[in-house]
Amino acid sequence: MATAGGPSDRPLQGGADGDGGHPGSELAVELRGITKRFPGVVANRDIELSVRRGEVHAIVGENGAGKSTLMKTLYGMHRPDEGTIVVDGRETVFRSPADAIAAGIGMVHQHFMLADNFTVLENIVLGSEPTRGGRLDMVEARRRINGISARYSLGLEPDALVEELGVGDRQRVEIAKVLYRGARTLILDEPTAVLVPQEVDELFRNLAELKREGLTVIFISHKLDEVRRVADSITVIRRGTTVGTADPKTTTVKQLAELMVGTQLPTPATRESTVRSTVVLRMEGATVRNADGRALVDDVHLTVREGEVVGIAGVEGNGQAELVDAIMGLRPLSSGTLTLGDDDISAWSTRARREAGIGLIPEDRHRQGMLLEAPLWENRILGHQTRPPAVKGPFIDRRGARADTQRIMSEYDVRAPGPDTLAVALSGGNQQKLIVGREMSASPRLLLAAHPTRGVDVGAQAVIWELLKDARAEGLGIVLVSADLDELIGLSDTLHVMLRGRLVATVDPGAVTPEELGGYMTGARTAAGAA
Amino acid sequence: MRGARIRKAGVRATALVLAGGLALAGCASDDDGGDGGSSGGSGGGGGGGDELKIGLAYDTGGRGDRSFNDSAYAGVQAAIDEHGGEVQEFSPNDGGSDRVEGLATLAEQGYNPVIAVGFAYGDSIGEVAEDFPDTTFAIIDSEVTELGIDNLTGIVFAEEQGSFLAGVAAALKSETQSIGFVGGVESPLIQKFQAGFEAGARAVNPDIAINSQYISPAGDFSGFNDPARGQILAQGMYDGGADIVYHAAGGSGTGVFQAAVAAGQLAIGVDSDQYETVDDPAQKAVIMTSMLKRVDNGVKAFLDDFVAGDIEGGTDVRYDLESEGVGLSESGGQIDDVLTQIGEYRDRIISGEITVPTTP
Amino acid sequence: MGRARRIGLALLGPALALVVALVISGLVIAAIGENPFAALEVITNLGDTPAAQVQSIVVILNRAVPLFLAGLAVSVAFRMGLFNIGVEGQYRLATILSAAVGAAVNLPAPVHVLFIIVVAMLVGAFWAGIVAVLKVTRGVSEVISSIMLNFVALGLAGYLLTGPLKGSPEGAGIVTTAEIPESGRFPDLTGVLTGLGLEEPRSELFGFLVVAVVVGIAISVLLSRTRFGFDLRATGLSPSAATASGVDTRRMVITTMLISGAVAGLIGLPDLLGSDYEYGTEFTAGLGFLGIAVALLGRNSPIGIALAALLFGVLDRAAPLLQFEDIPASVVTIIQGTIVLAVVVGNEIARRLARRSAERAGAAATGAPPDAGDGGGGGGPDLPGGPDGGQRTYTGVPGQPEGVRP
Repeated sequence: MATAGGPSDRPLQGGADGDGGHPGSELAVELRGITKRFPGVVANRDIELSVRRGEVHAIVGENGAGKSTLMKTLYGMHRPDEGTIVVDGRETVFRSPADAIAAGIGMVHQHFMLADNFTVLENIVLGSEPTRGGRLDMVEARRRINGISARYSLGLEPDALVEELGVGDRQRVEIAKVLYRGARTLILDEPTAVLVPQEVDELFRNLAELKREGLTVIFISHKLDEVRRVADSITVIRRGTTVGTADPKTTTVKQLAELMVGTQLPTPATRESTVRSTVVLRMEGATVRNADGRALVDDVHLTVREGEVVGIAGVEGNGQAELVDAIMGLRPLSSGTLTLGDDDISAWSTRARREAGIGLIPEDRHRQGMLLEAPLWENRILGHQTRPPAVKGPFIDRRGARADTQRIMSEYDVRAPGPDTLAVALSGGNQQKLIVGREMSASPRLLLAAHPTRGVDVGAQAVIWELLKDARAEGLGIVLVSADLDELIGLSDTLHVMLRGRLVATVDPGAVTPEELGGYMTGARTAAGAA
Repeated sequence: MRGARIRKAGVRATALVLAGGLALAGCASDDDGGDGGSSGGSGGGGGGGDELKIGLAYDTGGRGDRSFNDSAYAGVQAAIDEHGGEVQEFSPNDGGSDRVEGLATLAEQGYNPVIAVGFAYGDSIGEVAEDFPDTTFAIIDSEVTELGIDNLTGIVFAEEQGSFLAGVAAALKSETQSIGFVGGVESPLIQKFQAGFEAGARAVNPDIAINSQYISPAGDFSGFNDPARGQILAQGMYDGGADIVYHAAGGSGTGVFQAAVAAGQLAIGVDSDQYETVDDPAQKAVIMTSMLKRVDNGVKAFLDDFVAGDIEGGTDVRYDLESEGVGLSESGGQIDDVLTQIGEYRDRIISGEITVPTTP
Repeated sequence: MGRARRIGLALLGPALALVVALVISGLVIAAIGENPFAALEVITNLGDTPAAQVQSIVVILNRAVPLFLAGLAVSVAFRMGLFNIGVEGQYRLATILSAAVGAAVNLPAPVHVLFIIVVAMLVGAFWAGIVAVLKVTRGVSEVISSIMLNFVALGLAGYLLTGPLKGSPEGAGIVTTAEIPESGRFPDLTGVLTGLGLEEPRSELFGFLVVAVVVGIAISVLLSRTRFGFDLRATGLSPSAATASGVDTRRMVITTMLISGAVAGLIGLPDLLGSDYEYGTEFTAGLGFLGIAVALLGRNSPIGIALAALLFGVLDRAAPLLQFEDIPASVVTIIQGTIVLAVVVGNEIARRLARRSAERAGAAATGAPPDAGDGGGGGGPDLPGGPDGGQRTYTGVPGQPEGVRP
């Protein structure tokens, strides 16, 4: 099988059919020679995967390596072009997820598919409602759910509304949903992407319970340290094919990563400080309230200097997004002031702020950063509708926009056929590079970067980090919001922690560990550390 | 994203409903009219070269309305039975934008005479008549004398006189001395019905309570084809104490009858003898009488004159109580006990002793 | 992806839809026992004599002009994701008021016509503006408010017509406004036809055709070539991205509805200034609703809308003639309905094909699978693309970032 470019040191078995040194264990799932083609791309090629019953089996690989395609094959969402699926020793063909569920395979999606205004109980039974004589039998459902909850220590409250639950609880509801349908093998797609470290620990305890009860877990991730903590065996995917299996007890993160990427890992760590004395942005007592009057951003004081990266750490939903919106002018400040250079911009429109030199790499590039169904050159104009080279007076300069898009594509390594390509055709990394390139092209004074490397592959991640570092060196002030603690710690010159709308701590990015940071983020640590 | 998706789906659904609605509207308005042309053609039999070729342009809704359009068709059919010939029908589209083209095409294809059913053609028939001077045109419910076009005749009815008798009957039969009137569209034509009805009722009892309402305002023709709203209006009147409601609302009348059935009260039909035309026995039972507007007689008489070569042209022919162009139906026997009194009022109108107003 | 290929894909949807609609309609005709090919023959045969053919063309164009304007009015709002169902009320109110005002003043010919046009546009814009203001200040869905305002407009027009603006004599069967004098009428284009050596038709070709063409070009340039048009389209594609890019969505809603309403105000004028010269109870109704169908069929592009309006014109012309072939005129309505329905479906298919082709091109160039969307399901059904043929119709309340956490 293909093992192109793998590193030479070998605590790793060369083939996927190696059983990782646990002879005698029965296989729950086995994939042999799976190939899946989409028009123009081979998403999976000669996949070999053996998952033993009762183990947590991790599948690691970069974004875009083909993990999701593989899991969709296993979950019956599409059929492979070649190869066979063997479940419990029997060769199986899945025509739909229903077939997979019938075979005891369940999937917990990365993005939860829960109805917010339904209760936990209702969400779990939704789609497989228990009936007695054609009528809903909620009593039976409740009994079964309580049973599942107790057996796997999920701690579910059947009558709680899902909208009131935290992320970790929601995930447990998703898991319960799959168990309720009788799954014996659970696929968890990037389950930790949305969790803080403490919640990750809890998830891993749940997984241990599942394992203890004899269930099989397929765990998809690209976070290697987590994988090493939780998995019993690991299969690595690169460029659509399995390149090897590894034993987490004997393999280092570095070895895994290099197997995954095929090259050396990039790091976010910055070089020497470039912070200058000139203040770019000053936020004084900024407060943002929602329609109910609750403060989403609460009395925030923030200073960003030229050449400085100010990091904002926090569990998602603690006001970071609103903070960015407030600086961008997308939400009004109910009190406080915002000064850009020497101008009080508190009352300025978003467009005026952009013209004054604020750039934005939005948290959700599909929602805020791109027009997916528009060509790249139109996306080049987005956010820069009032400035050359995209416009001439009140008219759009199509030629200018196309030419400048071409420039961005070559300078920022945006891989696309041309400026007329629709943005939707690009991979996440290329979309993000286009956004970064676009925002940089206007020579901003202040850049708001929200999760700049979320959902992009390792290659693009490295490029984006380098771009941010270069811009910082040239005197750009950057506000960095991220859920990737390594990224925050590595890039920031100053690092604030945001909790329930307030900046609760300022830590020294040179000294803090991800675990400490996680403690501040959840409020477990309260002492305001000195920078 | 999820919110957006739902909303988008909503818009898509709306579009589908809209598109489906177009298609359904197409089916619905067709009901009975579909087989029109062919049956007319067969009526023609094997006549000679000079036989009648009648063009009949309907009001919105076409044939199958069990009212106005059907009545006109009955007149044409009677004429064909007597004189031989054939008829070609035309129904305008919902917006009424192709009325002129419809009339012109009928004339162009050699149909003569061309009869336009309904005052809606009043605007357009003049110019078409002038474009086709060799064709004889007639229009029902619209006066044409002022236009002074030689090949155009108006066939009009004294609806106020018939409605007067309906008002008399209602006032005589009402136990609560409270009655109602539901008009389809608040147009001058329908106001004639209202004026006559109210005058007739007040002639019997000057203090009678009369609740008159319209389904839609002038310019919005939905009121002639909206049974649901007809029912709501009538329901309101019955709830308010009325025990007899007279409708001049075309196809919406069914709703009035339904309301009457539900309330256990009475209603008065319009145009044709609706006691005979409704299918539902429950509705038959509540139709006390109908104000007859003998469009069929008017059309038949016009065609008789045409065959005889007696069309004067450029004038209006008026059908009233005296010529039995309007009147009250007696089927069902519900007004048998008051027929003499009604007869007295009829005579007084015919003699000119009573002049019935045409506006409320 | 080649431009030719993209245009081909853009045409594929409507063409496919037309074929499907014809087949379905043919089946319907066959089901009622008539010959579908006879119907097709009636629809496509413009007449046996040159005079009849010219007349047919005039009828088609005269019908297409108001439909084109109606489709245009709907599409302007559609392009930014607003569903202006109120076009019906906007044009009726605009027509009656401009008719009354036009009859009341006496101005030299060109100024008089221009004055009527401006009044109609202002009234239409005002009526649509109410919808926009309600949406921006109160968050009222424009679908709801514009439907409601249709009722109000019809009622108001009925009241004005029978009350203060009544110009027809007492007792007349049809109530109308006073007639617009000669100087306020739009000269017809029959001279152009005869100048081209064609037979003189029975009816006059609406001179307003020229205005419609000018408005069509203006809207086209506005949407695709200007900054304003970019902001408008961006808002339609993604309100949240447009807001983040600095578009003031509130102002955008108001401006767009004003433009849409102004164009809607023109819908009644071809008839008013070209043949009726007065607004009355019998004034052509339903154009606003047909405009929605025309806009859908035309995929919201001015050229497409022009073609769609012509197609509807052709079908409408055939309606009386079909009846003479014993085919009920409602077949035309059925064909129109099925075309629109098929276009909605066809556009969706064509859009997916186009996207797949784009993704393939992207993947071929980069080797990486495209980032289709968050859930990333096959084909990404969660992406924008609606009945309007790929223009996302989004009806959220702007001025507030979309989908914000409560």
